[in-house]
Amino acid sequence: MKVDVYNMLTAAQASRRRFLQGTAAVGAMAAGSSFVPGLSSVARAQSGLRAEILKIPGVNQGSPTDADWQKVGELCLGGTKETVQEGEFEGVELTFMGLNNQNLHNFLFRGFLKPWEAYTGAKINWIDLAQADYNARLQQSIATGTVDFDIIEMGAPFEGDVCGKGLAAEMPDWVKTLIDMDDYVSYLKAPVGTWDGKTYRISVDGDCHNFNFRTDYFQSDELAKAWEAEGHEGIWEAPTTWQKVQEVTKFLKGKTDPFGLEAYGYLDPLKGWGGFGFYFLESRATAYAKYPGDPAWLFDPDTMKPLVNNPAWVRAIQDVMDVMADQPPDQINADPGTTAFQQFLAGTGSMLSWWGDVGSSAKTSDGSVIGDVVGFSILPGSDDVYNRKTGEWETLASGPNFAPNMAYIGWGVYVMARATQDEKKGKAAWSAAAHLGGKDISLWCSAYPSGFQPYRNSHFNIEEWSAAGYDEAYIADYLGSEADSYNHPNAAIEPRIPGIFQYYSIAEDELAKTYAGQYASAQEGADAIAAAWEKITDQIGRESQIKLYRASLGLG
Amino acid sequence: MNLEGDLLHTVQPDNISDRRKRLGRILFWSASALVVLVGALLVLDDFGHDLGFTSWRPLLYAYVIWAVVLCAVQVIERGESGKRALFVLPATLFVISMVVFPLLFGLSIAFSDWNLSSLDGQKFNGFDNVVAMWNDAFYWNALKNMVYYVAAIGVEYAIAFGLALLLNADIRARKFFRVAILLPLMLSPVAVSWMFGKSMMEIRFGPLANLAKFLGWNQPAFFSDPMIARLSIMVMDAWTWIPLMVVILLAGLQAMDKEVQEAAKVDGANAWQSFWAITFPLMIPVSVTAIVIRIIFKLKLADIIINVTSGGPGGATDSVTSFIFREYRDRSNVGYGTMLAMVYLVLIIVFITALLALVNRLTKRPA
Repeated sequence: MKVDVYNMLTAAQASRRRFLQGTAAVGAMAAGSSFVPGLSSVARAQSGLRAEILKIPGVNQGSPTDADWQKVGELCLGGTKETVQEGEFEGVELTFMGLNNQNLHNFLFRGFLKPWEAYTGAKINWIDLAQADYNARLQQSIATGTVDFDIIEMGAPFEGDVCGKGLAAEMPDWVKTLIDMDDYVSYLKAPVGTWDGKTYRISVDGDCHNFNFRTDYFQSDELAKAWEAEGHEGIWEAPTTWQKVQEVTKFLKGKTDPFGLEAYGYLDPLKGWGGFGFYFLESRATAYAKYPGDPAWLFDPDTMKPLVNNPAWVRAIQDVMDVMADQPPDQINADPGTTAFQQFLAGTGSMLSWWGDVGSSAKTSDGSVIGDVVGFSILPGSDDVYNRKTGEWETLASGPNFAPNMAYIGWGVYVMARATQDEKKGKAAWSAAAHLGGKDISLWCSAYPSGFQPYRNSHFNIEEWSAAGYDEAYIADYLGSEADSYNHPNAAIEPRIPGIFQYYSIAEDELAKTYAGQYASAQEGADAIAAAWEKITDQIGRESQIKLYRASLGLG
Repeated sequence: MNLEGDLLHTVQPDNISDRRKRLGRILFWSASALVVLVGALLVLDDFGHDLGFTSWRPLLYAYVIWAVVLCAVQVIERGESGKRALFVLPATLFVISMVVFPLLFGLSIAFSDWNLSSLDGQKFNGFDNVVAMWNDAFYWNALKNMVYYVAAIGVEYAIAFGLALLLNADIRARKFFRVAILLPLMLSPVAVSWMFGKSMMEIRFGPLANLAKFLGWNQPAFFSDPMIARLSIMVMDAWTWIPLMVVILLAGLQAMDKEVQEAAKVDGANAWQSFWAITFPLMIPVSVTAIVIRIIFKLKLADIIINVTSGGPGGATDSVTSFIFREYRDRSNVGYGTMLAMVYLVLIIVFITALLALVNRLTKRPA
C-alpha cells in the first residue's frame, strides 16, 4: 500500500462521521461494482497465515519496521520451503536492483528476503536507486551491455527495452504455480508481463488513472438550479462521459464553488512532466480511441503508424483546447503535480484524472481541504467511439464507451537472463523473486505501507482487511475506487515498447506548442506529434518496433 | 662561471650512454606498440571477430602502462633534465586523459545515430545530426531564447554595480548587508525554483501574486504569457546570480586606488562625474571579468527552467541546455543530444572569443 493511503485509512478510522459516510459508500459499491469477485459479500475462508501476517505490526500500531518485514518474510517462506531445500543456494550471490522511494521498495525487499537468505544460504547484494535516476541507469546498462544485476524491480513500460532485447529470463512453470498468477486482476494477466507468449514478470503492484471529483459541487442545490436554469440536459451530477465533463467545465466558468471561491471544472495539466504528462491526454483520449475488442489505440500494430493524429485523438486535444479558457489562470504552466496537489487538493477545480494517490491524499495531506468531499469513479466514457478500422465514429448499442487508462501498469520483479546462465543461480533468483511476489506477502504489502497498490483479486476480500483491524467502510471505499478500472474489459493497456517515454516526451513538447497556439489547429499539432513519433520509430527500428508492439499487445 | 647551457639546479652533467638511450627507445616503442596492438585487437573484436574481450578496459590498462613508460623513459634517456619533465608530464597526461579523450569520444558520439532504446546501438551517420539540428525548430527557438537571456545580463550588471557601490559606501550595517546579499548565491537554483516559481509566484496563494493583485493586476499569471514567463525566469536567475557579480565588482571597487577619486573630488567633480569619469572606466577590466563569468553561467541556465516551466509556454522559456536535457535524458537520443551540445560548445567559444576581442579593442588605450 502507498504510504499516504495507509495514513489515510488509519487516520480515517478515527472519524465517526466518515464511518457513516463510508457505510453508504459500501452499499453503493456493492450494488455498482460488477467486476470484482472479491468484493461480493460472500465471505472467503481466511487462512490462518494471512490473518497472522496482517496483524504485523497491527493497524494503528505505527509504521512497520525492518523487524516486521523480516517477520512477514519468515512467515511467508512456505512457498520457498516447498520448492527449495535448506541451504540449497549456499555460495550463490545475487544482485538486486530496485528503488528506494520513500524508504520503501528495496527496504522492504531486504527485510522480506533476509529469512529467505538464511534458509537458502544465498546472499543478495543491493543496488538502490532514486526514481529520477532509475530510467537513465537502466537504459545505460542496456545500451552499454553492462547489466550488472540478476533481479530487477521494473515498471511494465520498460518491458520493451528489457524483455524485447532478450535480457530477461523466461519464468519457469514452478514459479507460475507458486505465485498463483490466476489471482492477478484482469489487466495484469497476459499479454502484460509477457513477450512472444513467454512470461517474464512477477507483478508486485498495479496502477491506473481514476476519475476524482468533488461531491460538494455535485450536491450543491445552487449549482443544480443554475444548471437547470441554463437549460442543460439531465440532472446535475458528476459526469460519466467526456461530453458531460466538457459541458460541466464550461458551465462552471464564472460561478462560485461551495467554498465561496471561483468554481472550475475539469483540470487539465497543460505542462509537460518528463513524459508522464502525456498519460493525462491519454486518459481523455482512450474513451474516443480505444474501440472495444481492438487492443491498439496508440499505434497501428501493422505499420507502427501513429494513431495520435486520428480523429479520436484530435478530438481529445481539441477538447483540452476548448476548455483552456475555462480553467484556472496560469493553467498552461500546470503540470500533473500542480493539478493534483496544488489545485484539486487545495480546493481548486472539481474534476481530475489521476492515480490513486489523489483520493487518499485528500484525507491525509495537510494541504488538502477536500477530505470529506471527494468521490471516485472510473474514467469518463464517451457517447461515441472512433473505429480506426472503418474510419467512422460509432455509437455502441451497449451505451457510452469506457476505456480506463492503465497508466504505467505498476511495478514487477524480473529475473535477468544473465542470472539463469548458471542453473543454481537462476533457480535462486526465481525463488527470491517468487518470494517477493507471493500471494500472501502481497496481501501484507497491500495492507501496509510498501509503495504498492492491490493487484490481485484476493486483495479485494474486504473481510480479511476488516478482520485485521481496518474499518470495513473505508477499505471498501478505497478498494472499490480502483477495482472497476483494473478489471474493465475495455481497459486501455499501455504499449510496452522500447522507448515509450521518448514518444511521450516529444508529444509533451508538441502539445505545449499546440496549447500555446503555435499551431493553427489541434490536427496540425497532432500531425506534428505523429511526425516526431515516426522519426523515433525509424530511429529505434520500425520492423523491430512493430514486432515488439504486436508482442506487447498479444497479437503475435 | 659557466653562463651557458643548463642554468637550473643540475647537480652534474649527465653522460647518458648510448646503451641507456637505446633501452629508453625500446621501452617507449614497445609500450606504444602494446597500445596499438590492444587497440587493433579491440577494434577487430568490435567488428565481429570474437577475441574474448568483454570491454575496452584493456586499452585503458595499456594506456596507463604507456604513460608510466613514457615518464620513465624521460629519465632513462635524458637523465636530470628528464626528471624535470616529470614535474609536468604526469599532469599533462592526466589532462589529456580527462579532456582530450572524452572530447574525441564525445565527437564520435555526436556524429552517430545512437538512441539508447535502439537494438542496433550506435551507428555512424555523418552529418545527419547537423542536418537534423538545422531543421529543428526547438533548437533554434532555444538559441533565440538564449539571446534574450544573455541580453538580460546588461540589466543585471547595472543592478549589481549599483549594489556594489552601495556596499562599498559608508552605510550603516555594511557588514551585515555584505553577508546578506550573498545568501541567494548560496541557494541551489532548484530551491529558488520551488521557493519563487512554485510558491511565491503561485497564482492563487503566492505572496508575490497577491502583491500583484493588490497593485491591480487582476490575474497575475507569471508563466502564461511568453514574454512575462521569460521575464519571470530572468528575474529568478538574476536574483540567484547577481550577488556573484556584486562580489566581483565590490572586490574591484575596494582594490581601486582611492587617491584618484580623492583627486577628482579636489578638482571639483560631483558624484556622477566622479563615477562616470573615474570609477566606471577604472572598473571596466573587473566588469568585463564579471560579465564574462556571468555569461558563462547564463549559458548553462537550465535548472530553474526545467523545474518551473519545462520550457513552456510553447517553448517560450526553453534554454539550449534544458532542451538538450530533454533530448538526452527523456528521449535517450544520445547521438543527437551530444551533437547539439558540441555545436553549442563551439558557439560559446566563438561568442566568448569575439566578445573578449571586442572588449579588448574597446578598452585599448590610445597610443
